[in-house]
Amino acid sequence: MNTTVTPAQAVPEAQHGPLLAKSDITRAWMIYYLGAEVSNSYERLQSLVFCASMTPVLKKLYPNKAEQAEALKRHLNFFNTEGVMGGVIQGVAIAMEEQKTRGEPISESSIIGIKTGLMGALAGVGDSIIWAALMPLLIALFIPFAAKGSALGGIAPLVLYTGITIAISYALCHKGYQLGKESIITLLQGGRIKELIYGANVLGLIMMGALAASYVKLTTPLKFSFLHGSEVVVQQVLDSIVPGLLPLAAVFAIYLYMLKKGPRYTVILLSVVAFSVICSITGIL
Amino acid sequence: MSTLTIATLMGLYYWFARLRLGYTFSGMLLQPVVIAVFVGLITGQMEAAMIVGAGIQLVYLGVTSTPGGNVPSDPALAACIALPIAVKTGMDANLAIALAIPFGVIGVFVDQLRRTINAAWVHMADKHAERCDTAGILRCAFLWPALMGFVIRFPVVFAANYFGQSVVEQFLAFMPRWLTHSFEIMGGILPALGFAITIMVIGKKTLIPYFVAGFFAVLYLKVDIMAVAIFGTCIAFLIRGFGKSEEA
Repeated sequence: MNTTVTPAQAVPEAQHGPLLAKSDITRAWMIYYLGAEVSNSYERLQSLVFCASMTPVLKKLYPNKAEQAEALKRHLNFFNTEGVMGGVIQGVAIAMEEQKTRGEPISESSIIGIKTGLMGALAGVGDSIIWAALMPLLIALFIPFAAKGSALGGIAPLVLYTGITIAISYALCHKGYQLGKESIITLLQGGRIKELIYGANVLGLIMMGALAASYVKLTTPLKFSFLHGSEVVVQQVLDSIVPGLLPLAAVFAIYLYMLKKGPRYTVILLSVVAFSVICSITGIL
Repeated sequence: MSTLTIATLMGLYYWFARLRLGYTFSGMLLQPVVIAVFVGLITGQMEAAMIVGAGIQLVYLGVTSTPGGNVPSDPALAACIALPIAVKTGMDANLAIALAIPFGVIGVFVDQLRRTINAAWVHMADKHAERCDTAGILRCAFLWPALMGFVIRFPVVFAANYFGQSVVEQFLAFMPRWLTHSFEIMGGILPALGFAITIMVIGKKTLIPYFVAGFFAVLYLKVDIMAVAIFGTCIAFLIRGFGKSEEA
């Protein structure tokens, strides 16, 4: 689109929108990263922070106040996703706003549509990689240090998790801006993301199993004495069959309960409390 | 440091961590092992704080953030109250876990309150958008939630830490043997909840054999966690191709 513009027929400035610098996108990303959960509300979840993060970009793209108000309002629409992967959506939204100011036929509803279309899928990917896999993995890796009384057990996960996730979300935001919506959809539907989640989950479960073996502690002091003087210590019998039987049973009992009844955290906690008191009084455990 | 100073610092820490400034950074600040570092610094008893912190952490390992950001339990409130008291009174990790649990439950309600109130700032931002007041929108996204958060977060932790220690000390002195033993059992079982939740959050039943493999690798092969992580990563790379046929 290379039309030569003479001063007499100057196109309104808004249609020629100034190009955004890389630093503008970084600023927008930073606001979103910092505030993704700060203003989270039941009514519109992350919509407020998304709009706030777009302010540096929108101010530059829409010098015209009426247009700027419209743009700000459309980013106050309902929005919620996982904040690290969500960087992609932000990059795409910025790219679309920029193209719109250059006169490309991008409607308000298509910008909102892309955001709402991507947010569910990315929340799913982000929750399962960033929160369900990476976070417990990093904590698990350094738990042995914490259990021995070393501060490294807390410092290392904090530094690593923050560093890794910031790098991912920064890169995703800039990638989203460069590649635009089509490539993001291809990426999401491609096999690589699924492979990544699968691998992360395998590793996560192996680690959880290893930690469970070290940290769930359940033994029984039960003994049965028989008339002719011999004594059977229940724990010794259990250990001779398979070590760690009771801890493993505890994990799966709770897991199966949650599969059936949903993650009722409080109910389970209270049940464990009641169970412990009963077993303590009766001497079963 | 005096009880007053510790109570104040813990209140401030809880407020700041729950403010959620920095999406993943604050997510980690809320974890008991990280809170333990802070408690270790202000009480001067790093070793005790980390050991108790690891105990509380295991109970809440899988409790990160569920879809929509609802917290099923608040590990940070539990740790910000139970950790300093446990360290000061010389409690063992099992007892500290028992002390922490009720606060974890209360924390859920505090967060519901916050997210209900936060709706007010969105409406305010609607008006700022009409007037193109971008600075106003930024205030709604950061400043007002932060001030509000201080009002609802700080007092809970401050009061519990300030008044809690003497109450807990008196209670400990009179605790019968069967109750102490109940807490020991509970402290042994509750980490199972943390692992069960993590399996649940990962949500793939077909992968459970990997959990069992990790479990018995430690019991039979006597390998430590770092070794499991290394071999686990290799296994994850070797079998990643299977992921294509699985639904995500």
